[in-house]
Amino acid sequence: MKYVDEFRDPELGRALSGEILSMVEPGRHYKLMEVCGGHTHSIYKYGVDDLLPENVELVHGPGCPVCVIPMGRVDDGLAIARNEEVIFTCFGDMMRVPGSEQTFLEAKAEGADIRMVYSPLDALRIAKANPDRVVVFFAIGFETTAPSTALTLKRAKLEGVENFLCVCNHVTIVPPLRALLESPDLRLDGFIGPGHVSTIVGARPFEFIPADYGKPLVTSGFEPLDILQGIQMILAQIAEGRAEVENQYARVVPYDGNVAALKVMSEVFELRPHFEWRGLGFISQSGLRLSDAYADFDAELRYEAPGVRVADPKACQCGEVLKGVIKPWECKVFGTACTPEHAIGTCMVSPEGACAAYYQYGRFAREREVV
Amino acid sequence: MTPGVSATDIGTRATPLREPEPAPHCSPEQGCITCGDVAVPLTALLVDDGRGLALCRDEQGRRETVEIALVGEVAAGDELLVHAGTAIAHLGPGGRS
Repeated sequence: MKYVDEFRDPELGRALSGEILSMVEPGRHYKLMEVCGGHTHSIYKYGVDDLLPENVELVHGPGCPVCVIPMGRVDDGLAIARNEEVIFTCFGDMMRVPGSEQTFLEAKAEGADIRMVYSPLDALRIAKANPDRVVVFFAIGFETTAPSTALTLKRAKLEGVENFLCVCNHVTIVPPLRALLESPDLRLDGFIGPGHVSTIVGARPFEFIPADYGKPLVTSGFEPLDILQGIQMILAQIAEGRAEVENQYARVVPYDGNVAALKVMSEVFELRPHFEWRGLGFISQSGLRLSDAYADFDAELRYEAPGVRVADPKACQCGEVLKGVIKPWECKVFGTACTPEHAIGTCMVSPEGACAAYYQYGRFAREREVV
Repeated sequence: MTPGVSATDIGTRATPLREPEPAPHCSPEQGCITCGDVAVPLTALLVDDGRGLALCRDEQGRRETVEIALVGEVAAGDELLVHAGTAIAHLGPGGRS
């Protein structure tokens, strides 16, 4: 298949692995963060970390939109979903994310009309098919997904669909990266930049990372060879004393992003002053809400929601995992009280979550380390 | 025009058929195409420029209506990189014969 087989060639993989080995200085420890949950998933699915020298460590970043949703937002969604006239729609993974009392899936079992959709367009279609009900779409995701919600809201407005509303939980990638870089307990040597987020925002917004913090960032694709080459490019920068933004995923990432997508996002959304991230707390200007022009579609303005901040369960260490301070298997409840079937934290719910990826691909047998 | 596809297919797919379980795209083996930063290549079958939509299919032949407002001109046979029902990149005229 185009764009798949070429990027899983074992011969090329071995060659890249050898090249990486020749580039690292013995005795020096390299800590690289893959920002995006899709990368985390690929790394463990294909065993990319096993092809790296022991002194190159991959740390998982906060780039899974499901993992970073705080419990309070789930509770708000549940309060809206329980209204009788509402058909509540969300993506599949969101169904199993625990709120303070239950998940969307459990609320559905109790009778709430909650439906899984694959796209905001699906939710709009449900609205058009049910004119006597109100269809609420629980929007999550980084800049990859936000244009999809924006286009659907624009379409709803254009077509005069009045029974379609949105709970906007969209987030932006740059503010949490800056928060991570400011974090005193985290030392990183470079970043594997997000792939499809960069298709929308481009690679340019990440220039602050080399400019302000002196760290290289390489936007990379999701196939094993993409990731290996991304790592090789980061290590080459370190070896040559450079810190720049480079684009390994140039086949779909334009350096300046997708202008049409950025335009529709700026029409439909505006920045929230603050947004809460699970494990990271409140981060300024990191979340999106609907702009005044789209206020009629804002479910948070139409319905009462508790809007309460709910603390994460005490045993849950998703925050440290999301910041890359501990590895998933170092969490006290990993693989015991917290499993994909009965998740305590969001990192175990989503397949893109670092914990679920470790669990799924047999990484739970590793020795626990004292950090 | 692709055999078995008519212009009226665009935007009329029966969504409830895929209810209600969070599967198969959200299985831990495959990852979730919507929640993660994941996109899949699809081939355009029919394009409705007026409405900014294209009916596409994946390798297994599953069909999906896709927003094409972000990727410029699309023709039947083109390959698109699709995330959450929206084409986010144009991969070129891959399937065109």
